[in-house]
Amino acid sequence: MKRSGFIIIISALFAASTGLALLLPRIKHGTTANIYRGGECIYSVDLSLVSESYTVDFDDGKSHVNTVEIAPGRIRVLEANCPDGVCVNTGWTDSPAKPIICLPAKLIIRISGEAPDGFDAVTGAAR
Amino acid sequence: MNTKRLTFLAVLTAAALGIFIIEAQIPPLAPIPGIKLGLANVITLWALYALGARDAGLVLAARILLGALFAGSATALLYSAAGGALCFGLQLLLKRAAGEKNIWALGVLGAVAHNAGQLVCAAAVTGSAAVFAYAPVLTASACVTGLFTGLIANALYTKLKDTRIMQGL
Repeated sequence: MKRSGFIIIISALFAASTGLALLLPRIKHGTTANIYRGGECIYSVDLSLVSESYTVDFDDGKSHVNTVEIAPGRIRVLEANCPDGVCVNTGWTDSPAKPIICLPAKLIIRISGEAPDGFDAVTGAAR
Repeated sequence: MNTKRLTFLAVLTAAALGIFIIEAQIPPLAPIPGIKLGLANVITLWALYALGARDAGLVLAARILLGALFAGSATALLYSAAGGALCFGLQLLLKRAAGEKNIWALGVLGAVAHNAGQLVCAAAVTGSAAVFAYAPVLTASACVTGLFTGLIANALYTKLKDTRIMQGL
């Protein structure tokens, strides 16, 4: 293949990914934060109903603890004892396009339109 | 494989490992894991052209294993291996199509493939597709960092081609 072919392919790849990277975080449908561990939802809260910030600790039973701060309209990992601190550095999220991921603890915080099936009752108790 | 070639591969592995470990000490450029220069790939890419697939693969495998031993963890090894395998596989596949003049392009596509491999690995570990939300930003950054490492590998290959460094290997 000629050089121009590679330049076109790579430019297109770069343009498409940059465009998506800039546009996706603007998507803001949904105010429910669902917290998953290993693919299973363990906590769910509607951030639009939160009036005062509070924190919840998530312990994976293998010495990983993530302290999650739940605030009006947004959520973040306030503190974590994992080695890389990626989840803390990700900061606040309020968009489905910006999940917070802690790989060592296998913890994921996703914003979505609704809580997973059969989860509202549990949340009510937790809140 | 003669002794000189074996020694040369060992030196390459040491160089790649050194680059890898030094780079691991640099604080992350962004809060997203996976955004880094990937300078060690310069060695692999150069070796792929200068020494062939088998030896480049050996250097890569040794660097990934030793890199995890010195600077990472068992989990890091998993991501490193998934990314490295996909990156090298794609470069191997496209080596002929790219030719000696487009080594830089393999740097870019390899970096993108590397991140793709790591994302698939992360999705498997977390049991969730949520990690793919970071695919666009990782791909965009891989284009930039991959171009940088690809151009270095390209220049390295061009400059070293007519020297005596490869004599007797």
